[in-house]
Amino acid sequence: MLFRLLYQWFKRRRAGRDAAGGAGSGSGSGAASGSGTAAGLGAASGSGTAAGSGAASGSAAAGRPGDQPISLERGARAMSLELQNVRAVARREYLARARTRSFRITTVVLVVVAIGVALAPIGIRLIDQGSGPSRIEVSLGSSASKLDIVAQLQAILNSQATSNPLGGGAPTYAVSATTDETGARAAVASGALTGLLIVGRGPATSTGAEGDLAFTFVTKAKGVDRISQLMQVAATGMAQADRLARSGLTPAQQAGLVAPVGYATQLPDGTTDTSSSPEDYVNSFAVGFVLAIILFMAIILYGQWVAYSVAEEKSSRVMEVILGAASPLELLAGKVVGVGGLALTQYAIIFVPALLIVLLQDQIASLVLGEPAAAASLPAGLSIELLVVWGILFLLGFALYATLYAGAAALVSRTEDINAIVAPMTMVSVAGYLVAVYSSTGLISPDAPFVHVMALIPFFSPYLVLSLLGQHAISGIEVVAAIVLLAVFVPIALWVAARLYAAGVLMYGQRPGLKLLSRVLRGG
Amino acid sequence: MALVLDKLVKRFGSGATAVTALDGVSFSVQPGEVFGFLGANGAGKTTTMRIILDIIRADSGTVSWNGTPSAEAPRRTWGYLPEERGLYPRMEVLEQLVFFGDLYHVGRPEAERRALEWLERFGVPDYAHRRAEELSKGNQQKIQFIAAVLHEPQVLLMDEPFSGLDPVNASILKEAFLEMKRRGATIVFSTHQMDQVEELCESVVLIDRGRVVLGGSIRDVKRSTGRQVVRIAVDGDSSMPWLAAVPGVRVVRPGQDYTELDVDQGTDPETVLRAALDHAGVRVTRFEIADPSLEEIFIEKVGRRPTEEAHLADAATTTPAAAAS
Repeated sequence: MLFRLLYQWFKRRRAGRDAAGGAGSGSGSGAASGSGTAAGLGAASGSGTAAGSGAASGSAAAGRPGDQPISLERGARAMSLELQNVRAVARREYLARARTRSFRITTVVLVVVAIGVALAPIGIRLIDQGSGPSRIEVSLGSSASKLDIVAQLQAILNSQATSNPLGGGAPTYAVSATTDETGARAAVASGALTGLLIVGRGPATSTGAEGDLAFTFVTKAKGVDRISQLMQVAATGMAQADRLARSGLTPAQQAGLVAPVGYATQLPDGTTDTSSSPEDYVNSFAVGFVLAIILFMAIILYGQWVAYSVAEEKSSRVMEVILGAASPLELLAGKVVGVGGLALTQYAIIFVPALLIVLLQDQIASLVLGEPAAAASLPAGLSIELLVVWGILFLLGFALYATLYAGAAALVSRTEDINAIVAPMTMVSVAGYLVAVYSSTGLISPDAPFVHVMALIPFFSPYLVLSLLGQHAISGIEVVAAIVLLAVFVPIALWVAARLYAAGVLMYGQRPGLKLLSRVLRGG
Repeated sequence: MALVLDKLVKRFGSGATAVTALDGVSFSVQPGEVFGFLGANGAGKTTTMRIILDIIRADSGTVSWNGTPSAEAPRRTWGYLPEERGLYPRMEVLEQLVFFGDLYHVGRPEAERRALEWLERFGVPDYAHRRAEELSKGNQQKIQFIAAVLHEPQVLLMDEPFSGLDPVNASILKEAFLEMKRRGATIVFSTHQMDQVEELCESVVLIDRGRVVLGGSIRDVKRSTGRQVVRIAVDGDSSMPWLAAVPGVRVVRPGQDYTELDVDQGTDPETVLRAALDHAGVRVTRFEIADPSLEEIFIEKVGRRPTEEAHLADAATTTPAAAAS
């Protein structure tokens, strides 16, 4: 029902424009699409003939194939499948798309973007290295602490810096003492200094004659900047250490006070969950999430390509020529293979260089930055197993959606109507994708039963299996079951699509609805 | 050993909107002959061709080629030039011809060789690397023709191959047509340009609203009407008012060059000549007795019948024959 409602809504929306444009399109060539063309071509050839023989008048449009209801049955060859024809169609599809300027430009742009993103961490480190450490001066004034505040500050700031997720090359800070407060303020104002820390003593408190250390940080950095936050942490630490020192604890005693506490977690069965460190968790959900997005984009984008390709052949009327030579099933399979192959090629061109850069990040960094290199490894959270499953789901998921897109597109006469006709499937696709994303990000529990049921349903499984697998929230049996179900469903989809295609390719100007759909599938 | 169509029936749609496109169409085409498939628009020509090619299937009836059902004959048996021309607009000509050859299992190098040969024959070798959308309609038609014959089909089905072509392109295509015949192809083509049928075809069949109205060799078809045609030209008044007095004779086509008359069965055409000679001041410069043209037969069989189809009625009233009768 959704199918039909959407289509009718779309039709109504277009009605006004069609009425205005109809007369003009009648004189178009075969490239102009739709039912208007059927009449247009008819009139054109009819009048040419009338001039020659007088046997036919200009009213030739009536009774054209375009105006007749077209048979939904197909000849015996409809379902024949010769691999040579599939290969020929796939080859044409692949080359015709690959040679378009838009394809080349998109690919080049995406390659540049992907390499740029992959190189970004190294680039950031390179820039930081080139600019040297940020300088910070400390004016000790009359604070008279037992602590070596300059050394402590340097240690605290830089220890924080090295835990930066981008790696060991994060900003470093050089801390030195100064007595020239006015000069240092001027240096901060000019940008030569990142900041000036003025250390003083607060008023006496009940705990002692001397007050707590008090800090003033003179800087142009905003409150949310990294250095401002680091400095506050450092100041708090130093003030507390100063308190302990004033109350007479030795440095060793102080160290004992803040030594780590024994703490462990255990699963109910007594084992330790090794997979769920916060860092692993973030990595795993991020990887499953990203793989699901890539799959989703491939299905929507390349699925549309298949649909457009079908509609273009219909509107340019090349379809009838090809049907003399190849069966609908061969055409359909060839298109899906051709466009799918091109999709994989484009993905390989875009992602292989970027992936290599990520794998060899440390080697590249050592070349560029002169740091020692570690062995190449997959980014955290990305496993060979996950990549293999992704590859299988990509192929099967794409085949499923692309064949159905092609079948649906065969029912429309114009490329403009494609979006309306494939909308129901796109919605299904989006639903699966959203549940996958929500379960990755924790909005939906990955353990919820309905998520696991959806993970088995062919239309949703490509997305959900990826996101659940990334989080280690799905068992191997479930993954295998989902893949098997998907693999079984692809030939069914191919059959349905071939029926739609066979019926639709010579059908111009009919409104696709549920009634038509059921007639086509019953073969009546 | 022939292309045999036996009692083809095809209905489209169902219930009140059902249209009977073919209503028991039977005819046969001998191997190696050029066969004209005639009929008004909407008569069922395209449907018949699609059924022969097994693009659609008949409700009942059979098509066989040399005794084999057409659906079981290999696809490369057939070459098809559809009425609606279709090429990939943005694909280079040579590339699409090789693609079509590939589909018909002609090897790609061989397909390329043949395509270039045909382009040469048509005098357009430089089109090989042009995109189809850049070509004129007539030139696209040539490419379409090459696509249909590249695999050397045994049977060539052409749906109005000459429509919309200028005389130069039409004659080039006619020549290619005859070349295919020399190579042994059986050619079935539909048209409503009767002069081309008379020029090219050995046999014809005429269908009207899904039924075969008449068929056979051109000669038999022409004789079947029993009527004869007289073409006469005189010095002086070309309107020849005295003709009205001759019984059993009707003016079919008045003209400056000559006037064509329809002579009823049983009337001796020579009565016309006699009347002309009897008429004072008339010098006969041309007198010819002939079979009626296919065009006249077509109109007689299709156009003049009382009909519910508006476009056929229109066609009839706008032709000279109908106006004269």
